[in-house]
Amino acid sequence: MSTSESPQSHIDVGDGAAIPTKSDVGLFTAWRIAFVGSIACCIFLAVYKPDPYLAIFKFVPDGILVTFKVTVGAILLAIVLGLFTGLGRISTNRLVNGIASLYVEVIRGIPLLVQIFYIYYALGRFVRIPDLFSAIIAMAVCYGAYMGEVFRAGIQSIPKGQMEAALSLGMSRRQAMRHVILPQSIKVVLPPIGNEFIALLKDSSLVSILAVSDLLRRCREFASESFTYFETYTVIALIYLVITLFFSKLIGIMEERLNAGK
Amino acid sequence: MRENSRPMIEARNVSKHFGSFRALHDVSFSVAANEKVVIIGPSGSGKSTLLRSINRLETIDSGSIIVDGVNIADPKVDICNVREEVGMVFQSFNLFPHKTVLENLTLAQLVVRKRSRAEAADRAMELLKKVGIAEKASAYPGKLSGGQQQRVAIARSLAMNPKMMLFDEPTSALDPEMIGEVLDVMKDLAREGMTMAVVTHEMGFAREVADKVIFMDQGAIVEVGTPEHFFTNPSHERARQFLSQIL
Repeated sequence: MSTSESPQSHIDVGDGAAIPTKSDVGLFTAWRIAFVGSIACCIFLAVYKPDPYLAIFKFVPDGILVTFKVTVGAILLAIVLGLFTGLGRISTNRLVNGIASLYVEVIRGIPLLVQIFYIYYALGRFVRIPDLFSAIIAMAVCYGAYMGEVFRAGIQSIPKGQMEAALSLGMSRRQAMRHVILPQSIKVVLPPIGNEFIALLKDSSLVSILAVSDLLRRCREFASESFTYFETYTVIALIYLVITLFFSKLIGIMEERLNAGK
Repeated sequence: MRENSRPMIEARNVSKHFGSFRALHDVSFSVAANEKVVIIGPSGSGKSTLLRSINRLETIDSGSIIVDGVNIADPKVDICNVREEVGMVFQSFNLFPHKTVLENLTLAQLVVRKRSRAEAADRAMELLKKVGIAEKASAYPGKLSGGQQQRVAIARSLAMNPKMMLFDEPTSALDPEMIGEVLDVMKDLAREGMTMAVVTHEMGFAREVADKVIFMDQGAIVEVGTPEHFFTNPSHERARQFLSQIL
């Protein structure tokens, strides 16, 4: 090989200290371009071609509200479910551990869309509850399993010595969990919970197949009345993108704050 | 003579396996009140396992360990009550990183001993002064040096007013220049009459402080004696070999 070959003839792949950090301008603007760009698109379309875009934008806010209701309701329920599942997964009680593990394995093995149908119709057989609630429960049951793994990993990431130190001071396992292990786990699990939140926000579009008027369903209703399928789905994609980008930034900032506190 | 001659710790025929590995084999020993026992031996000899089984951080397969009159090998015993009275100091300090130094010392006092906040804080400050680190009370453990962290860990155990203290290689994770400050705290504690069981590689400490030296090898106690006897004229070949390697 000749040494005169240009050193620029290969692509640098960063590793270790060379991995670009989040504060690097190039990466930072990627988020900016997407966020500002998608908002600009929305405004441009609404102003430039009010028919049908402005009509669509006027039609969807109800749907956004429903999407948020489903997402927030499901994530809160999933966190509670996930905490208990995570604790169950590390329990030495075989029955508790078995139930928690079975729950995780079963849920992870079934597609979310199938679960939503199944839980919706299964619930419908026994109780009469509003569709919105069945949708929330279906999403929460699914995400609770994933959240359980987040909590399990978070608890197990705390060094064994912490539990031993707490026990050696005379604390019960429950006291040690509450005062020593869980407070430390929270820092570990917050970022993955944030990611689960975003994933759930996107997956919440699946509940539109039930009789829940979320963002996607509202738009589908509009499209089928006005036959503006392309325009409507453009708007849906943009709205989901703006919401998701907004939250991912929020979570990124939160994560940085947590790390700064160390 | 003390009227209470019951030993603080009495282990009888203790055995334990990790899978097929024999960690402890028919170990018997006792620690009297106010006695300072130093356990030494090569790594993997079972010293830490033995120490950790005294407050049931390790369960034993057979035998009995009686701590302050309670057989902790009995599964019906509420081990928390025993652990309250047995302080333990770890090689890796194990301070709670999400709590300040002061909170590290008060947590178990509040939760386990049910002391009032003021009472717990008073006791904590008293001990932080004693280990020479009172000015760091509101710092987080991450900001402290290893030696300071270990002194806080000792104070944290003492805050519970334990009847005895277990030390599991308390200086092994420390930089050499910090070993002295931790050993000084332990020597003070010994002088005050605390009952102590110490696993260590610090032979100087053993010689100076120990009432009794226990030498272990391959999960068994090979030799028990006074420091003078053990360091000058050990009876077993294995002990002689060990001393020639480290002294």
